[in-house]
Amino acid sequence: MIGLKSTLNVIDNSGALLVECVNVLKNKVNNGHGSVGDEIVCVVKRARPISAATQASVNAVKVRKGDVRRAVIVRTRKQVRRPDGTMVRFDDNAAVLLNNKREMLGTRIGGIVSSDLRLKGWSKIVSIAPRVA
Amino acid sequence: MASATRHIFKRLFSNTARSATPEGAAYPFSKTALTPPAPKAAETEVERLRQGKRLMEFVHKTLSPPEKQALLQKYFSRRSKDVLQPGSIVTVLQDQAPTQFTGVLIAIRRRGQATSFRLRNILQRTGVEMQFFANSPSLKEIKVVRPPPKGRMRRAKLFYLRDAPDKMSALAGGRK
Repeated sequence: MIGLKSTLNVIDNSGALLVECVNVLKNKVNNGHGSVGDEIVCVVKRARPISAATQASVNAVKVRKGDVRRAVIVRTRKQVRRPDGTMVRFDDNAAVLLNNKREMLGTRIGGIVSSDLRLKGWSKIVSIAPRVA
Repeated sequence: MASATRHIFKRLFSNTARSATPEGAAYPFSKTALTPPAPKAAETEVERLRQGKRLMEFVHKTLSPPEKQALLQKYFSRRSKDVLQPGSIVTVLQDQAPTQFTGVLIAIRRRGQATSFRLRNILQRTGVEMQFFANSPSLKEIKVVRPPPKGRMRRAKLFYLRDAPDKMSALAGGRK
């Protein structure tokens, strides 16, 4: 149940560490709250320091504090129901940053993600994730 | 006066059987007893169910296949010798993802056919809790990996483990 002002941990290697939700996209139900697999617009609150070398290189897409980016929610503390009634709950809220075309900004994911992502069409993220629950 | 009492006596102790003795069985211990007419031809079980008689009982008995009923009975009935105890390490095998989930059993919610239990584990430095429903068709098997330490925990619901990672790892590490 991610809404305005909710903070999420970022678990990819895009450089951001903590992100604050500003808007949940395409969600006319649930009072505008986002869950696993929903795309959100967020502000980067904390980011890894960027060395000069990476700044110079063109390949690396590193985000800075204060950037407004899109992200997809991959873990929520609020339990999510699977079709057979099984519920999953994680101990924190986490997201993976995206660009405007729904592609990942980072290249690796460092943590467990929810397998409900597959149902929502984010199979790319599920395939890269080290562990899926 | 005498005739009145005699009339009454006659009525009380009459020898002739009275009207409306039925199609049913005669009462063997008295010729004059009245037996009410036998009930209508027995309804079949389906007809009774359609009228709503004993419907929930029927639903509880037939909602899940007998193997599932046996599973419910084996792991959740309080009298069973393999009953699940909170604090034990349990593995669940499923049809859907995740196919195998192991964790500490932190809660059992007994609600008849809707009985469920919660497992907690720490994967990739994140706590994950899953609630499984015993009657779910995608739940294949429940295996007890380790019973609770000292035979039992002192709580039925171990939600305090969410805030105590050290106790969690002690359980996982397995002091006996």
